Amino acid sequence: MNRRVVITGVGPVSSIGTGADAFTESLKAGRSGISPITGFDPTGFPHIHAGEVDDFDPKGLLERISPQDWGRTSLFAASASRLAVTDAGIDPTELSRSAAGSCMGTTGGESQVLEALTEHALTVGFEGVDRDRMGQIPSSRLAVAANRELGLTGEALTLSTACSASNYAIGHAYDQIHTGEQDYMLAGGADSVNRWSHAGFYRLGAVAERDCRPFDKDRTGIITGEGGAVVFLESLESALGRGARIYAEVLGYGLNCDADHMTAPNKDSIVQCTRIAHGNAGIDQSDVDYICAHGTGTPANDLTEATAMTEAFDANTPPISSVKSMLGHTMGAASGFSAIATVLGMHRSFLPPTINFAMLDPDIPHIDPVPNRAREQTVNIAQVNGFAFGGNNAITIFGRYA
Amino acid sequence: MSTQAQQTLAITGWSAVSPIGIGPDTFTESFNTGARGNTDVTEMFDDEPLPRSDAFAMPDFKAKDHLGRKGTSFLDRSTALAMVACGGALADAELVIDEDNAERVGVALGTTAGSVKSTSDYGRATFVEDKPYLVNPLIFPNAVMNCAAGQSAIRYRLKGVNATLAGGPAAMLSGLRYARTQIGLDRVETLVVGATEEFGPQTAWANEFAMRAGGGELSAGEGAAMFVVEDAARVRDQGRVPDAEVLAVEVATHVPDTESDLSPDFSASLARCIDRALTRAGITPDEVSTVASAENTMPATDRYEDSAITSTVGTAAHRIRVKQQLGEAMSASGALQLAALLAGHRSGESRDGEVSLLTAHTPDGVVGAAVLRGWRGRARASE
Repeated sequence: MNRRVVITGVGPVSSIGTGADAFTESLKAGRSGISPITGFDPTGFPHIHAGEVDDFDPKGLLERISPQDWGRTSLFAASASRLAVTDAGIDPTELSRSAAGSCMGTTGGESQVLEALTEHALTVGFEGVDRDRMGQIPSSRLAVAANRELGLTGEALTLSTACSASNYAIGHAYDQIHTGEQDYMLAGGADSVNRWSHAGFYRLGAVAERDCRPFDKDRTGIITGEGGAVVFLESLESALGRGARIYAEVLGYGLNCDADHMTAPNKDSIVQCTRIAHGNAGIDQSDVDYICAHGTGTPANDLTEATAMTEAFDANTPPISSVKSMLGHTMGAASGFSAIATVLGMHRSFLPPTINFAMLDPDIPHIDPVPNRAREQTVNIAQVNGFAFGGNNAITIFGRYA
Repeated sequence: MSTQAQQTLAITGWSAVSPIGIGPDTFTESFNTGARGNTDVTEMFDDEPLPRSDAFAMPDFKAKDHLGRKGTSFLDRSTALAMVACGGALADAELVIDEDNAERVGVALGTTAGSVKSTSDYGRATFVEDKPYLVNPLIFPNAVMNCAAGQSAIRYRLKGVNATLAGGPAAMLSGLRYARTQIGLDRVETLVVGATEEFGPQTAWANEFAMRAGGGELSAGEGAAMFVVEDAARVRDQGRVPDAEVLAVEVATHVPDTESDLSPDFSASLARCIDRALTRAGITPDEVSTVASAENTMPATDRYEDSAITSTVGTAAHRIRVKQQLGEAMSASGALQLAALLAGHRSGESRDGEVSLLTAHTPDGVVGAAVLRGWRGRARASE
């Protein structure tokens, strides 16, 4: 089987809106989801802003699993999955009887549960902590939460390849449907804001004080973020058969590894990953008319990424914007949000903007970051970049279905 | 339902890092003679109470003893175990990585939640240091789950697909499925597939609570095992002798009737997985000689697993309960189950061509089964 694979549902649970409509409106308006941190006590941290989902309401979103049984990240994954299924308009009962599963990407998994237990253990020791909460730590629970929320009996796989994990997950889900192994897949990622990673990124000198400003000459770093970003995938034949709205087709993807340094990005490897992705999708680089960047807003990433794109696209880089300017860096969910923003833009003919933008970094002169305002434009083929610690590069390619 | 013809994988080399031995030869000898890996662990962690004085752990394991001093002082335990296993597997396969093949060789590594001690300690530092951000930036990557796969790639120059699969006890099976897809679609030529798990206070207590709740008595374990996996047809065409062919791998999610059921009976879901794996492998139940189960002394889940096995392949097959010898090592357990099956073949030719079944299940409802056919493998230098 070599089935074509399409996205027919999206489920963003984000700091700039939950659900396709709210998320689209915010992308078009260039809204920022950044606010003072409330998920943990930020006292003592010099930088205290994050992209938290302040209005996250798992009770209101979930129909089957009980919020108290699961960690916050699993609840993001399951809520986003429920939203994506509703958005896809498929009968949930029919879905649960089908060959269907989920693949969720993450950086931290349920490490905020571990962190809370670690704090409690400071006074009572690990022997005194909440035993049921201890059982919520395994990261496998993200994908299992999605399957159990929707009654899916197929594979439930959590890929913890850090900040490119959603692209890994979408790629794997694509393969499952492409080969006929599964008929429907939920794929994307989830992560939660927590102290340990906020501290770690701060100590790497990678956290901005207030604004994430990708590609700007005065960019200073990321803003940590969170949320759940899930897309619903099925075969083209299935989507046409049930008259589903098709946001976009998944054309292919590429993965590679720097095998070089745990935290520093590698330009040559990103160029190579781009070529793998284009080759797999069967497209030429000149076919791409939008890139949703990894675009973290750190000096190192944006310079490396923009330079790599300039090389991969022979200095004719298509418009490249970063939704992290609005959402912050949602870690394992990041390329899932980028994929959702990209396919919504493809379906409704607009490019999401890079907000907080003032002046282009003179070291990356050949790029157009879609500054500050969404742009009306037809997008036929788009690329979503995801890079990560460990040199885990992952690039997905989407095409307009018309 | 899935009717796709099965892409068959070959395992062409492997290694295990375990309390009963490091390396395929030592592991094979120890496992086959029934060695048990539990030992006194009271000196392993200063000032950090453990639930028991014993565990299936390696108190004397030090990264530098196996990987040298350079660049190893900051490695977390989970990563070091994986790196040693990865290097051992590459050596066992005599797979030399050079500029020509580096981009075509990758890693698919299973975990439960990464180096839990590293992540917990990182969070702890934000509470106990003078300022919450006074954490050590050098060990930040250790706290992130893809550290072991990334570090393995760096050490052995593996530039292909690099995936971390957080599947807990089912991660090994997920890794084999992942390899089947990635290799089948020619995204990568060779994957080093396996899983790692470290022993530490956090995992020891998590195991303790789970055992008490489930009525079991097994201590926590640690270890890693990695397997060099390639397309079986290619290996056959090249006239090479594999250690095993992975004929089928199936996973599923057991969705309980009610979400309030804390120990749902997953036996029917697991039995369906086993049936499907046998069907796709083209194997009849009576052909299965050995079953490596995930039984871990918890009465209810052991009963569900046993019921699934006996209802599908009967009771004639030899059962190896790997966790009795190696403890509850979560994601590493699945990999050590596979290593134990291969150890049964490595020791001699008498079992060449025999078929084995491997079963796994996670506390949150993932079940899975693999069917493989094993051989002694090619003649190796150490013999």
